[in-house]
Amino acid sequence: MIDSPARPQTEAAEIAALLRRVQGGDREAFMTVIRLYQQKVFVMAYSILRDREDALDAVQETFLRLYQKAGLYRQGSSFQGWLLEMAKNISIDSYRRRRRKRQEGETGRRVEEIPIAVMDKGGDSAASDLRSAFTRSVETLAERQRMVFVMRHYNELAFNEISEVLKISVGTAKSLHFKAVQNLRKRLAPVLGMEP
Amino acid sequence: MKSDDEMKFFLKETEAVRDEIRRASNSVDWEALPGLIADKALAGPRRTEHVRRASGPWGWLWSLRLRPALAGLAAGLVVGAAAMYFVLRAPGGRPDAASAYHASGEFLDRAELEMARRGTLDYLEKSQYMLLDVFGSGEEGPVVPAAVRAERARDLLQRKKYLNGQLERFQMAKAKVLCDQIEVLFRELSDISEELSAAELARIKDLVEERQLLLKINLVKRELESGV
Repeated sequence: MIDSPARPQTEAAEIAALLRRVQGGDREAFMTVIRLYQQKVFVMAYSILRDREDALDAVQETFLRLYQKAGLYRQGSSFQGWLLEMAKNISIDSYRRRRRKRQEGETGRRVEEIPIAVMDKGGDSAASDLRSAFTRSVETLAERQRMVFVMRHYNELAFNEISEVLKISVGTAKSLHFKAVQNLRKRLAPVLGMEP
Repeated sequence: MKSDDEMKFFLKETEAVRDEIRRASNSVDWEALPGLIADKALAGPRRTEHVRRASGPWGWLWSLRLRPALAGLAAGLVVGAAAMYFVLRAPGGRPDAASAYHASGEFLDRAELEMARRGTLDYLEKSQYMLLDVFGSGEEGPVVPAAVRAERARDLLQRKKYLNGQLERFQMAKAKVLCDQIEVLFRELSDISEELSAAELARIKDLVEERQLLLKINLVKRELESGV
């Protein structure tokens, strides 16, 4: 989907060298790392938050955190996996804060009953309802299932990349994905007239 | 709807989300963003973090996950040392009164009260996240794995031990009652090693709702934030 900014030839050693320079406060090196990965981080954040401004805040926070934690990167491990894990955690925290704010505004209702904000793009209302139902069904999946589904389908990550970000085995990632799809089918069955 | 149609629907919807992401991404100025972030990073204070190793004579303390206890101990030592310093210096007078810094007992009390207030706020904030995690659990079980949740509950229980003295000392009665109620729940959560069953989950949710804990946390937090 979105053009991959990370050069395939960027080897782990090059990244490690860049990060050493970042640790030393090298602005150019830091900007190079941002240029290479900013769009991947944005896609991860946007997939979770579904809001442009919130996603951009998450991108900024991710790289600011990288600037602080550059020394923690272990050469040999996947830098992209490490960075996206950071982006995922920051986005989930932001998502929870947003959910808590909504919950504070609706103190009389249970958290799971609070409607999830879905951007209504207008147009055909039946299609819009279906879209809302789909989005809401994804949002209400158990967190690990939701994360795997989002990374697989919105970020188009391979299962081995998902396993790096979530620190789980490839088998577990596949199993969570299977459960996510099954649960989506169940939840959407009444809307689509499917057999659950 | 047939399975093929169902698959087409999923593909169509996920493609629609990817389109939405593409549109959002296309509206961002990717050329300018690295410079903005770099400016912000370089302008802020640098707090470089290094890999924490469990080595040296005190390394084993980290591996025992005593960080909350150590943080409490360190805060106690700093406040205690500061208090002793000023108490012992007071009768002798100061050789250079113009340049010396004097803190009264009242000031230290206020400082400790402020620390207690912040500690309580932080505890309530973390407790709220924990309860929201339990509430966010879907039909398939809790959002956070049971082991992680139990560990977080144990951390919070440990922090509560240090908070008890402060809550009593500064007569933060309302916060104390609320923290005690939360503590009971965390004790249960920390004891449950297996995944929560639906019945257990429902019972804990009922308890939280029945006691209106989330609402009470918000109210007490607001009071503490306004310094009441």
